[in-house]
Amino acid sequence: MVAGGESALSGRRVLEIADESGVYCGKLLADMGADVIKVERPGGDPSRSIPPFLGGVPGPDRSLHFLYMNTSKRGITLDIDRPESRPLLRALALAADIVIETLPVGRLDALGIGYASLAAAKPEIVVTSITGFGQTGPRKDWKSADIVAGAVGGPMHVTGEADDPPVNLAGAQHFLMGSTCAAASSLIALLCAGRTGRGQHVDISIQETTLAVSHISGVGKWLDDGIIPRRVGTGLTASVPSGAYRCQDGRVYLMVNRPAHWKALAEWIHEETGNEEVLDPLFEGPSSKRIEYRELLDLFISDLTALHSVDEIFHEGQRRHIAFTPLRTTAGAAGDPHLASRDYFINLEHPAVGPLRYPGAPFRPESTPWALSRPAPRPGEHNDEIMLGELGLSPEALDRLGREGVV
Amino acid sequence: MDPQALEGLKAVEFTQGMAGPWIGRMLAYCGAEVVRIESHRVPGVVRLYIPPAAEDRRVQPEMSPWFTDWDAGKLFVALDLKRPAGVELALRLVGRADLVVENHRFGAMDKLGLGWESLRDANPGLIAISSSGFGEDGLHPGYVSWGPNVEAMSGMAWLGGFPEREGAMTQYAYPDSLSALHGLFAVLCALDHRERTGQGQRISLAQLETTLAMIGPEMMDQLAHDRAPERLGNRSLYRVPQGCYPCAGEDRYCVISVSNPPEWRALCALIGKHAWAEDPRFEASAGRQAEADTIDEAIARWTRERPPHDAVEQLQGAGIPAGVVQDTEDQYRRDPHLAERGYFETIPHLKKGEVVAPGIPLGLTGTPGRTTRAGAAMGEDNERVFCELLGLSEAEYARYVDAGAIEVSENQEAESSPA
Repeated sequence: MVAGGESALSGRRVLEIADESGVYCGKLLADMGADVIKVERPGGDPSRSIPPFLGGVPGPDRSLHFLYMNTSKRGITLDIDRPESRPLLRALALAADIVIETLPVGRLDALGIGYASLAAAKPEIVVTSITGFGQTGPRKDWKSADIVAGAVGGPMHVTGEADDPPVNLAGAQHFLMGSTCAAASSLIALLCAGRTGRGQHVDISIQETTLAVSHISGVGKWLDDGIIPRRVGTGLTASVPSGAYRCQDGRVYLMVNRPAHWKALAEWIHEETGNEEVLDPLFEGPSSKRIEYRELLDLFISDLTALHSVDEIFHEGQRRHIAFTPLRTTAGAAGDPHLASRDYFINLEHPAVGPLRYPGAPFRPESTPWALSRPAPRPGEHNDEIMLGELGLSPEALDRLGREGVV
Repeated sequence: MDPQALEGLKAVEFTQGMAGPWIGRMLAYCGAEVVRIESHRVPGVVRLYIPPAAEDRRVQPEMSPWFTDWDAGKLFVALDLKRPAGVELALRLVGRADLVVENHRFGAMDKLGLGWESLRDANPGLIAISSSGFGEDGLHPGYVSWGPNVEAMSGMAWLGGFPEREGAMTQYAYPDSLSALHGLFAVLCALDHRERTGQGQRISLAQLETTLAMIGPEMMDQLAHDRAPERLGNRSLYRVPQGCYPCAGEDRYCVISVSNPPEWRALCALIGKHAWAEDPRFEASAGRQAEADTIDEAIARWTRERPPHDAVEQLQGAGIPAGVVQDTEDQYRRDPHLAERGYFETIPHLKKGEVVAPGIPLGLTGTPGRTTRAGAAMGEDNERVFCELLGLSEAEYARYVDAGAIEVSENQEAESSPA
């Protein structure tokens, strides 16, 4: 990271009216330098009560979810359900390049800040809606959740052990992918608006982003081979060998895709275990040639991994250009020496709860640094700064809205 | 043709697998000109595809569905980058581009004379992204990994699955797609910056680090408390009940996730547990959490009697977040919502006529995007790219072919007229 460089999105303004399904979209933009203003209900957003909490103790600034997902943003509190908030909300929206929202379909229009209404006043504006099922279609009003997206979008049917029920991924992965797609789409729309003068409404359906992200097990493959993929444990059906293998002190993950990688692995197995059969040319070539021998090859590989520690298999495997990697716990990942050598995890002081350690940059732009420019806002932290300073509200008017419970 | 969001944008790809190519796929879908450079020397994994129905078990490089999913809509050229003239042509393509996407092995581009310095010399305003498993410095930048390796190494796999298991892995190389989406976002940020400043730059993406950012709250829990977060299976720490419930039929399930008291009361009414709706113990999610096993059993008794689609229609009808655990056939044949939204895309395919592919879910309602073509051969667009776009004369083109810099397949040699 180059210190002191201008951020890529500095000068871009974003209004975020989002629950946990879209909150990561704002974080992506904010950590790249956009000025993201998060609207919370008076008293603070419900997502401030999402566990786990720092020290196990609930509190408005103690939800690790909230602390992580709202870095680099500014926050205001505004009761958008009260008509008195409408002029402020509209002024905030029109000051933005992008409005991100996760409200039920049609709610934004009812608040007077739907795309059509905003575009009439500001043609270049981009409104990005993130919902479970999208803005159109018979199920647009259905309620979603991360696990619902995991079900209707395909991942669950193919994740887990063969004998177990389907299982969702850890963390809110489908919300995160919907949000990441939304951030990319918002910028595509913004670049287009820069050229044409016209913004647009971005309609993100989390069901669809989930389908797209998991498409390796999806429609193209099925139409091709007629096989409906289901749960098979840790291996990938099409890559043989692939999966988790047991070592003396833990497990490693192995994946072989290229013919040369198989040869290197077969030679290693032969060297250490004396296995002659593994060298049979029958097993050589692309993965598809080995699919019918999967179980046999798994036994050969297990004979090798059982002789070693995880670290031995990892480093010696890599020396031979074979994709062996440790299956790490979260503690293992937190203590990973490679990540430490790259200063991946970073510290940031939060005024209410002190220093915290965060996962760092998801990618590293050389000239326009990714950065956590500030910790997640406290409830209403930037009310004065934004409403008085930037929207030009009088102190009396703000005071009145405060007394009425609007702000 | 409708206006395209990224019309005029030009990208060049030196890619393999999915994490790199999927970035270009989405740019091409939005109207960018994306040229992917390949070589017969090192065919990508999707080029090594043997169609399941092929009796002769022969590799057919244009037929993989994943080749459609990751590469449709691009222009394909074949260059021998071990030859200086091949590198020269690649640099001339880079010279007229806005963007380079690269995910070859660490050091491979440098070795070919296509490292960042060379690319930038060819094009000072260039934006380039390099995507790799481990990044380009630190203890072991050159280690090889595929998506699932990264999933295993990040802790994400270990955190997933039921508490009594040892973790769970996706069957779709999730780090590849999540890295591609982040890579797409990153280059778009750089493009937006360049629009205003004229400054290009390089972006480096380490898939291990991107994947860790996807379990941010869980890693913060680990880092703050030096203690592993709970493995939750299908449960949630704050939405109760939440789970995956068996339905009538073989291997059929639905999921339910309750987030507030009205949804809870609606669920109680639907499954006939009227007393629970009024029970103060269950008003808050913590109270329901304490009895989660009992509640799950009651829900399962109700779902087991019903086919999954019927159960979910009733649940959503009552305002309860729920969904069918859909397999691919459900998605394609039994999801009227996806059908009405036109999610799946039918794409003209040079060998198969047409193919159905998962949609590109960017949701750009003003500039919807489209996929022009799938099934290109290696070097399919050599003449178009080098003659029409780069401006080589026929004689120059022929010289590069003769020198082995531009690779043409035997078919193409037979078809192309002597220059």
